[in-house]
Amino acid sequence: MSAELQTALLATGVTAGYGGDPVIRDVSVRAESGQVISVVGPNGSGKSTLLKAIVGVLRVSAGRVSIRGRDVTNATPEDMARTGVGYVPQVDDVFAPLSVRENLEMGGYLLPRQQVPDRIEHVLTVFPRLSTMVRRPAGKLSGGERKMLALARVLMLGPDLFLLDEPTANLAPAIARTLLDEQVTELAKSGAAVLIVEQRARAVLAVSDYTYVMGGGQLRMEGTPAELTASPAFVASFLGGHHDPAGSAG
Amino acid sequence: MLYLIILLVYTAVDAMACLGLSQQFGVAGVTNFGFIIFQAAGAYMAAVLALPSDSANGGFQLYIGGFHLPFPLPWIGAAAAGGVLALPFTFLVGRRLRGDFAAVGLLVTAVLLNLLVTNYRPLFNGDAGVSLVPAPLHSGMFVGTSNGYQYGFAIGGLVLAVAVYWFLRRITESPYGRSLRAMRDNDKVADSLGKNLVALRTGVLVTGGAIAGLSGAILVDFIGVWSPAAWSYAETIVLFTAVIIGGAGNHVGALLGALLVPVGFEEITRYISNNNPNLPPNLLPSLQWVAIGLLIAVFLWVRPQGVLPERKRVIEPPAQEARTQRTRRWRSSPTPEVLKAIGVSKDFGGVQAVAGVSLSVTKGTLTGLIGPNGAGKSTLLSLLAGTEKVSSGRISYMGQDITVLPAYRRARVGLVRTFQLASEFKRLTVVENLLSAVPGNRGDSFLGALAGRWYWRRDEAGAAERAYALIESFGLGDKANDYAGDLSGGQRRLVEIMRALMTEPDVLLLDEPMAGVHPDLARRIGEALRELCRQGMTILMVEHELAIVDELCDPVIVMADGQVLAQGTMAELRDRSEVVEAYLVG
Amino acid sequence: MASVGFGLITAAVLAISAVGFTLQFAVTNVLNLAFASIMTLAAFVAYWINQAGMSIWIALIASMAVGALVSVALNYAVYSPFQRRGSAPITLVIVSLGMALIIEFGVAAIDGGISVSYNMGQSRTLRFAGLILTTVQLIIIAISVVVMVGVYGLLRYTKLGKAMRATAANRMLARNCGIRAGQVISATWALTGALCGLAGTVFAIDVGSFDPTSTDIFLVLILAAVFLGGPGHAYGAMLGALIIGLATEVSAAYIAADYKYVVAFVILLAMLAVRPTGLLGAKT
Repeated sequence: MSAELQTALLATGVTAGYGGDPVIRDVSVRAESGQVISVVGPNGSGKSTLLKAIVGVLRVSAGRVSIRGRDVTNATPEDMARTGVGYVPQVDDVFAPLSVRENLEMGGYLLPRQQVPDRIEHVLTVFPRLSTMVRRPAGKLSGGERKMLALARVLMLGPDLFLLDEPTANLAPAIARTLLDEQVTELAKSGAAVLIVEQRARAVLAVSDYTYVMGGGQLRMEGTPAELTASPAFVASFLGGHHDPAGSAG
Repeated sequence: MLYLIILLVYTAVDAMACLGLSQQFGVAGVTNFGFIIFQAAGAYMAAVLALPSDSANGGFQLYIGGFHLPFPLPWIGAAAAGGVLALPFTFLVGRRLRGDFAAVGLLVTAVLLNLLVTNYRPLFNGDAGVSLVPAPLHSGMFVGTSNGYQYGFAIGGLVLAVAVYWFLRRITESPYGRSLRAMRDNDKVADSLGKNLVALRTGVLVTGGAIAGLSGAILVDFIGVWSPAAWSYAETIVLFTAVIIGGAGNHVGALLGALLVPVGFEEITRYISNNNPNLPPNLLPSLQWVAIGLLIAVFLWVRPQGVLPERKRVIEPPAQEARTQRTRRWRSSPTPEVLKAIGVSKDFGGVQAVAGVSLSVTKGTLTGLIGPNGAGKSTLLSLLAGTEKVSSGRISYMGQDITVLPAYRRARVGLVRTFQLASEFKRLTVVENLLSAVPGNRGDSFLGALAGRWYWRRDEAGAAERAYALIESFGLGDKANDYAGDLSGGQRRLVEIMRALMTEPDVLLLDEPMAGVHPDLARRIGEALRELCRQGMTILMVEHELAIVDELCDPVIVMADGQVLAQGTMAELRDRSEVVEAYLVG
Repeated sequence: MASVGFGLITAAVLAISAVGFTLQFAVTNVLNLAFASIMTLAAFVAYWINQAGMSIWIALIASMAVGALVSVALNYAVYSPFQRRGSAPITLVIVSLGMALIIEFGVAAIDGGISVSYNMGQSRTLRFAGLILTTVQLIIIAISVVVMVGVYGLLRYTKLGKAMRATAANRMLARNCGIRAGQVISATWALTGALCGLAGTVFAIDVGSFDPTSTDIFLVLILAAVFLGGPGHAYGAMLGALIIGLATEVSAAYIAADYKYVVAFVILLAMLAVRPTGLLGAKT
């Protein structure tokens, strides 16, 4: 019982879709505080859908989502924010016509008014690049800067659970590396749970405590990065087909 | 004047107006909030063509024209005026403007024109309007004519309404009408299939305008006067209510709507005011408007398709004996490489989606194009298809440089693509969806539609035969006459592919055809594609389901970070470490 | 020079309504063509209160309340249900036209279609920077300036204002920040509805004598100002109102006064044809 209370995120048997047939079926993932948990898989495997279902953007038709023991299945995104969940979508991740500072203020919407300026100060020390452009409209930032702003925005509330949807998509490899190696691991080190969906499997495995592999809307494999990289089936699941241990075509 | 005459004339006029509006709004999807000004243009034109010069009668009314022309010239002029008035609005109906913004532009025009005519007296006698308009073939106004004449006039009006109905049916139940409906359902896709949106929309504005103008002529000759009060912008709303209630897109529905709303309302109001002579004069007309507003809202909520919804056009399969055994012709290519990209790049505002890609596709192959997300595969496909322009480099097709050729022109020479997202025409049947893609149907023009079924029957039958052959070969025979919007996701995928095949492409570019498709259906699609390649088609397929690519494609090209990484069979590629890394690194 | 004065007053009235209209559109994505008729309703409520003996300035407050209530009710009962159902934007526009009819002619049914005017009391004329204006006109301009400053301050500095801008820019992301978008939208309707009511009464004060159909042509000016500045862009609407207000009145000095609205009409169609996103850019 108390173990469940500590589990930052527990999703069991989640089935969800966009209204018609379900896109993901019977998916279960779990994240503890201080951990970086990754969900990888080829395109179209349902990774983004899983995050959207957890955070309430999509309807869950079967299964259960709980945060620290509390049932939040099909809670609205506004309520999820109040539960201490910070979600960064893959696209449309900033308020383009608002300035950088105003984006951060929106991130701190739920905070008491007096706390906001200090919180902004703190967040800007984590992302120093942003402090040089606080007045600039978010729509005018470069790809990497936008992603930083998107992360900084969720950081404002100091959530216990971060849900990141392909944060390194469209980022140059060096920036992507920094994001994962430094900033994402920082989040976990400060005690939050991080559930991160990624296409760059190698890079994210390097910083993960545990990884789930999805394919065709279902969970195909799971394990620690070490277990997975040692498994031939892991590579095969990315490249389709069956792996023949003899090495010839499948 | 007999009450029946009034009823008949208004029925004819309102029926015509509703038919014209239904054609614009229900069939073509053009929302013309300024419709009434076209009727007004016709009424004024008929009046000033038939009236003597304004100095007659002591010059108590001022107006342009005054040519005292005999019937039917004023009525012809009225229709022409209504049609010509539509032309300046071409700029509002292009593809750049949202439909609701364009509608607002037309509404505003109606308000302003009414204000202008009211204030500028020399035009049409301003607020007082033109009066003493003579009835056709008569020297005086309608009110002074004999009973026989009046009946003749009323019948004549009804005959014209029937003629308009017949005319519009002929236009709509033709390949041209099908293109209008396709444009209504999904204008972007219709555009990519080569339908000229501006021409089609201008065409319905002009046609509807001419019909409205003719209705105005009948009305002005009947009443004998015409002033700005008769054509406030709100009158268009009455017509919209009629069309929506009757059934937008259904011509009988338009007639029904005309009977229920403009005519029905007038009669109910007349009845109430006759039985209650002590009501304040303003009350009933105001309540009429309130009732119209309520009707619109209620109907759009409860039954937006109207009392008589648009009918489904069922196209029966051609009889077995009648089917001809066609062998299709394949274009010849000077080289075995039918499609080539040479040093092609594409920049999107600083980001290079495709960076110096050179590849070639060999005739008769089912070539796969794979790669992780962001590799540039879809962008490359768009460049090859012409839906995006290259930033640099060349594209060669059958030995010809097609780098600057637009997408629909490439389609006409046999290079065709499909789209990822829902791009079927929802309110066209499966057969109609396929038929809409066929270029060069004789009935797909205004004049061709007007010429009648005998003119385009052959082309249509030939296309229908091919459509059914495709539908049956893909196993959707029992859904041929279902609305495409009612099919499952995978079946709609199939419709998209079949529609592309209707154009008899030599090179087919498929954009993730199997995404979200049930494995059994995917297998069926795969077999059909392989069969097509055996017959001589060339296919380039972007796909994520690598198991499918493995089964179907040879060769397979891998892209990553905007460049070509490797080429070979799936098995060969799996053994190459840089390919594996590309997928895992992402 | 007198026309510049008139232009400023027209711009003042126009600014209040244009800003209200464009904010509604920005946050809710509804082109509310019933806006002008709600102005009429508010103006007539103010008239009836004025007739009952109250000062017009008290009636003004009441008209703002009426505007707010009716707008919120309209969204709750009509627009929101249609939007939840996924209706196309054009359907919403047609429905808004229906609502315009109900409201405008509902008022006409009660009023009887006659022109009315307020009991304004005495007013003096003042000379001000080369213009001759009455005190009432000065009050109108002052109200408009206060509203503009207030809206600017609201959007720039208050939590609600920023939440409105966030909801307008990216509704789902706003919800992910914890913003209750539904409440923000209702608040927007209330606020812009109050502006609508205010604009209606101020309009009626300015024209002197008005009837239920007086605002029809004014809607054209509102749309011109909105599209000139960019639909959904609040500061653009303010700029658009200034330009349209001045342009119509100044042009009246050169072409006959009856055609002054033609200028607004031409500008509107030109913007739709050439740059539908407006001078100051699109609503994102």
